[in-house]
Amino acid sequence: MDAPDDVIHQPIRLRVMAALTAPGCDAEGLDFTRLKALTGATDGNLGAHIDHLARAGYVDVSKAFVGRRPRTTVATTAAGRAAFARHVAFLRSIIAEG
Amino acid sequence: MDKDQAGLQLAEIESVVARVKQSRIYRVAGDICMVWGVVHLSRYGYFRIAPHWAASSWYVVDTVGVVVTLALVQRANAGRGGGLWRAVVAFALFYGFGWIWSNVLGDFGGRQASAFWPTLFLFGYSLAGLWFGIGFTALGLSLTGLIVVGYAYAGDYYPLWLAISTGGGFLLCGLWMRRV
Repeated sequence: MDAPDDVIHQPIRLRVMAALTAPGCDAEGLDFTRLKALTGATDGNLGAHIDHLARAGYVDVSKAFVGRRPRTTVATTAAGRAAFARHVAFLRSIIAEG
Repeated sequence: MDKDQAGLQLAEIESVVARVKQSRIYRVAGDICMVWGVVHLSRYGYFRIAPHWAASSWYVVDTVGVVVTLALVQRANAGRGGGLWRAVVAFALFYGFGWIWSNVLGDFGGRQASAFWPTLFLFGYSLAGLWFGIGFTALGLSLTGLIVVGYAYAGDYYPLWLAISTGGGFLLCGLWMRRV
């Protein structure tokens, strides 16, 4: 790979993908509130970036009710995990070329 | 993209992964704290209601606490080996150490034993904070302080003090850890 992934390259989306691919989260995903705390993004900003990742096929978004409260859960797809791994490999290759 | 930008992105990824890990530890620890909050409330509440059955009831509520804790650890470590056995060994070491001191080496009465056992485990929390986050140390030291104050000044209300301070303290800390 000789270029960064244009979708993941953006800082908030990079943080979202890093959080969602972290050990323990890659299978079950994270809820929106937790992602907001982990990325430091606002509701609207995070929502827009998650939409962007979903349109690229990198994440799946599911909505459900827990009791009376709606809960939005975001999880990576296989394509998203592969794209993130390629992006990280690209970053490491730049460091290694030094 | 140059080397500096790549380095910044890799550092950002590492930072987020570390925060996720910390958040997961606090979430599981929060659940465990809430379990032990209920255990402490039951244990000392029961002591208040039926003191002659207190000792045998402690075995039951402690066993329930240990089993639920191990189940939570197992759920948190699903797919990764080692966590459950480390938790079992940790409980065995704490209870073994406590048993030697309270039954062989020490000469504890009921009041001393009811201060010793929770402070023994809270000492473990205080140490865990050095690796897993300052919240554990804050919990360990603050509840130990409350137990010592109750031991010295609560008089006949000592069991009630333990129920409220340790039971309530664990529940509040558990809620806080789950939200961090």
